[in-house]
Amino acid sequence: MALSEDEIKAAMIEKATKAPKPQLYIKDFYACDPDTKPRVIKNIANALVKEGKLMFWSSGSTTMYARPDRIKNEEGAEGIN
Amino acid sequence: MAKHDTPLLDQLESGPWPSFVSDIKRQAEKNPDCWDILGQLELSYTDKITHWKHGGIVGVFGYGGGIVGRYSDVPKRFPGVEHFHTVRVNQPSSKYYSTENLRGICDLWEKHGSGMTNMHGSTGDIILLGCRTEELEPFFYDLTHVLGQDLGGSGSNLRTPANCLGQSRCEWSCYDTEEVCYHLTMHYQDEIHRPAFPYKFKFKFSGCANDCVAAIARSDVAVIGTWRDDIRIDQAAVKEYIAGNIVSNGGAHADGDWGAFDIQKEVIALCPTDCMWMEGDKLKIDNSECTRCMHCINVMPRALRPGAHQGASVCVGAKAPILDGAQFATLIVPFMELSKDNEFENLIEFIEGIWDWWMEVGKNRERVGETMQRVGLPTFIKVMGLEPIPQHVREPRSNPYVFWQDEEVPGGFERDVVEFRKKHAA
Repeated sequence: MALSEDEIKAAMIEKATKAPKPQLYIKDFYACDPDTKPRVIKNIANALVKEGKLMFWSSGSTTMYARPDRIKNEEGAEGIN
Repeated sequence: MAKHDTPLLDQLESGPWPSFVSDIKRQAEKNPDCWDILGQLELSYTDKITHWKHGGIVGVFGYGGGIVGRYSDVPKRFPGVEHFHTVRVNQPSSKYYSTENLRGICDLWEKHGSGMTNMHGSTGDIILLGCRTEELEPFFYDLTHVLGQDLGGSGSNLRTPANCLGQSRCEWSCYDTEEVCYHLTMHYQDEIHRPAFPYKFKFKFSGCANDCVAAIARSDVAVIGTWRDDIRIDQAAVKEYIAGNIVSNGGAHADGDWGAFDIQKEVIALCPTDCMWMEGDKLKIDNSECTRCMHCINVMPRALRPGAHQGASVCVGAKAPILDGAQFATLIVPFMELSKDNEFENLIEFIEGIWDWWMEVGKNRERVGETMQRVGLPTFIKVMGLEPIPQHVREPRSNPYVFWQDEEVPGGFERDVVEFRKKHAA
């Protein structure tokens, strides 16, 4: 049975916090709730970006997600928060 | 006055062709930061390695695409390109501009960026090169509020859709490419501005098989105009072409001496399916064999026209050669009606069917064409809920294997080996 949106958000934040690499592909979040469709997971990931709990990191061709406090700011400081 | 010595780059100005080096030098006279583009590039030519770092967290608020972060890895030597972000702006449909709009874009980019542009990128966007991070938001405000334009797609987003001139100027266009492109651009704003997929995804819309936006080579979903009924023939005009009273190819080759028009050599013999012939002075076409390639229509546009029952073929899976080489899109739906009346719902349903499958099955950084290749076309058409048809066969008789599913075989694939061995010794 699919988790609630809040439960999925919590699982995604935990994953982004504990994953060995700070940047995660959208597919890495699918495992947070295998019963939820990928497009729903994508929408929740983008909602977390809107809330400031995740950030986009883009290479130009691929976009990944990361916790703001784990992502390197190319313009200087380690961690955005 | 040049800021750096650039002997290697200067050689690129010596040929007869236009040189980007000259363009950058000209812009550097206005914006001295551009000297550092040349300085850094000269260093890259000497070191034989790029000095750009690309990617990062830069963007504008609420958007997850449209800006590609770019930084110099030698910023102290070239401070003018310390930040040199690329901005992708959604081009107008068919790339129709007014000079006023072009001036507006250029003025805006000289105000907020380097002034260097690339018209256009491979996806179709207007590419604006070189912006500092702190100028991104002011630029975006002016772009949207003054010019009424928006950013395009980048990263794992739906990329900016592109289309040919379509019915706005072209009599061959079999559907309204501009209407479809505009409708889908508006329908998928979220997918264009925020990442949605394992990798990039592109639509392109061409009105006929001449494919002026090269949709079949460059897009994950190529919608290419075609027709279902017979090519419309004006036999009187055919006679005029043969008599030399109408110039072939609309006069496109009139400046060379190609001799008198020869319908046999220039049209009939070049038909890829050999479906045309002359009966007396009448041109005949076996339309059931015609692949709608457009060649004969291109040569004799006043005698031949696309049929009247028009729509589009939908091909899936083209890509550039990052993995496994470049590939063209594969024909999946030979004919689809496209109508604004139903808001193109059949095309939207088809596209979303691909997305739902690819988002689940596609690997990270795998284009949908690569996923199709990995699972095989039979599997792809099955998950898309389509019946295999002859048009799906690319090379008849090149593959002797027919794959039956368990439920298609009487009794399935389960066998009693003991019973089998009673009649067939091991």
